[in-house]
Amino acid sequence: MKTVKNMSKSTTPEIASSAVSGQIISFLRNYYIYFVLLAIVVLLSLTNLDRYELFERGNFLYEKNIINILRASAPILMLAGAFTLLMVSGYIDLSVGSTMGLSAVIYALLAINGMPFLPAFAITALCGALLGAFNGLLVVKFKITPVIATLITLSLFKGIALLLVMDGVSAVKSMGNLKMPSWFNDFGREGVLLGLPMAFWVAVVVTAFLVVLQNRSLLGKYAAATGGNPTAAKLSGINTSKVVFVLYAIVGVCAALAGMARASFMSLGDPLSGDGMELTAILVVLIGGTAFSGGEGKVLRSFIGALIIMTITMGMLTLVPAYYQTLVIGAVLLAAAASNHLISRKEHGS
Amino acid sequence: MNVPVHIKSIPSNKKHLSDQMYITSLVALVAIGLFLIASLFVPNFFQFQNMLNLVTNNWAVISLGVGVSFLLVSGNFDLSVGGIVALSGVLSVWLAQSIGSPNALASGLGLPYWLALLGAFVGALAIGGLNALFVVKFRIPSIIVTLGTMMVARGIAQVITQGSQRNTNLPEEFGVLGNLKVFGTSMQFPVLFMALLLLLAILIERKMVFGRLTYWIGANPVASKLSGIDNAKHITCLYLFSAGIAGVVGILLSSEYQSGFSNRGLLMEFDALVIALLGGIAIAGGFGSVIGMFFGAIILAVVTSAATGLTLSPDWQYILKALAVFLAIVAQTWALARRNK
Repeated sequence: MKTVKNMSKSTTPEIASSAVSGQIISFLRNYYIYFVLLAIVVLLSLTNLDRYELFERGNFLYEKNIINILRASAPILMLAGAFTLLMVSGYIDLSVGSTMGLSAVIYALLAINGMPFLPAFAITALCGALLGAFNGLLVVKFKITPVIATLITLSLFKGIALLLVMDGVSAVKSMGNLKMPSWFNDFGREGVLLGLPMAFWVAVVVTAFLVVLQNRSLLGKYAAATGGNPTAAKLSGINTSKVVFVLYAIVGVCAALAGMARASFMSLGDPLSGDGMELTAILVVLIGGTAFSGGEGKVLRSFIGALIIMTITMGMLTLVPAYYQTLVIGAVLLAAAASNHLISRKEHGS
Repeated sequence: MNVPVHIKSIPSNKKHLSDQMYITSLVALVAIGLFLIASLFVPNFFQFQNMLNLVTNNWAVISLGVGVSFLLVSGNFDLSVGGIVALSGVLSVWLAQSIGSPNALASGLGLPYWLALLGAFVGALAIGGLNALFVVKFRIPSIIVTLGTMMVARGIAQVITQGSQRNTNLPEEFGVLGNLKVFGTSMQFPVLFMALLLLLAILIERKMVFGRLTYWIGANPVASKLSGIDNAKHITCLYLFSAGIAGVVGILLSSEYQSGFSNRGLLMEFDALVIALLGGIAIAGGFGSVIGMFFGAIILAVVTSAATGLTLSPDWQYILKALAVFLAIVAQTWALARRNK
């Protein structure tokens, strides 16, 4: 009797303290990413203050600098949300970079052959959906492991994109009689609101749409269920194949949007313009706290993760030479993976 | 990750070949078949020298494939090998370059040659150790860890070479190792390295406890742990092994070209992974063989060199590569499913 009393006495405060620390941890897990972004922005804006005034040319918070970073972020911002949903469902798409490159080529080819903006935009987005659906087909119907299936299409889409480009040049651009129309740059460059181009606002709208999709629709819930426990999801009547197929198609559309944004930004259809994007996407999603094994992750956090990565890579250029970039990004990836792991281990109390 | 479990071997007296030998011979047959088909269409393809070239031109990727295969069999990825190739090559150059040139890229640390090679090798092992630390200790998925270390390794190489390459002020003996002819034949030392490595790998895989344990760990890590196998130590060894191979490959390549180039070995990690998968190694672990990986490399070599021989635009290579991998994977899954029905 006595021991029981002692035990209950000693355990109560422990439970209370663990509840508090649990709250702190879940608060950290949900909001730390915003603090990280804030800290990086503050740090970068405090550098070189001896030479440049705050908010003036040369300082990080100079208006044009911010616009520049957000404008260049449009492709990864478009991609991050859809990629998160796919990873939440436990799958991955390594072909997004090639899909981007192929879309950029298709978009530029349509434009250079005289098609107006909207039809060209719509057709390219549709092509993106088809490319994504093809990935879905390989994974769902042919039952090829996602990593291999999308490695195959990485190679395939890149090959097609390279073949589509005219002989003798490395990218689709004005040459001879073919002239790139004047509107081609507008999507990625021309400021329409707050000095930011349409591509950025499309990224915002896509992200908002995906946030609603994740939190308010059945597809969002099914995606989490599929990633959390595929067998249980299947047994409870979810058509996981369909969920995965649709998610791959959505990723395809987003990759096509990203490809068009980049093509417009660079004013040419470069088949290699998306190379390495799959790494950036994985990095961004991980920094946003998505579990690689599936089941967990938030679209909005990946959006912030993308902003963090772009801020670091572009803000760093004023401090160190460009050849430090790979090292820093690799180190950030490892640090993000390690901290994700530590937080989730604390959370599960082991 | 959803990994389909498709290997269920059912013991039966009728079968003389194990599933593994069955798949390996299938891959070998496909490689030979492809070579014969290519010989029909490509002029001058069916020549002894060409067969030899298919192997010798790919010594680097095949060597990397050995380490990657062992790790895949144990259920782990290693995507860092391409980065390590760049890092160890650049390190060996930087450490051996003499001191005191006004040009930053021409001035190194001026260590004796053997010490420079040792330093480069240790640098490679350090990346392997980092892989093991994150995978084994922190239990982070190996694909992420090795993507990160790939970037870190290549990133260090880029910082040392300032994004370019170092190729001046090297000691006389620097270019010897990579261009050495073995015993007066036309075979180069790196090819001999690959051959010995393959023999060693087959010996370890077939005849030694270490190799057999790798299969156990890959097939069922929980069961292997419960039966007293030190998974952590084993996987650490495998990562060091793979990184060590990549280190030697990097040193040999930088010696062959007499330069340390930060973009050397770019995408080699994917090629090594692809040939291992083509060779029938299951991505889920526990199944596959180094011999299969070797024939996987031959398949890829035949496809790409036939494309060049047919004077197709090099852009076709990507599409042919995709087709080859797709067919190989589908054929293997199908053949195993049919056999074990």
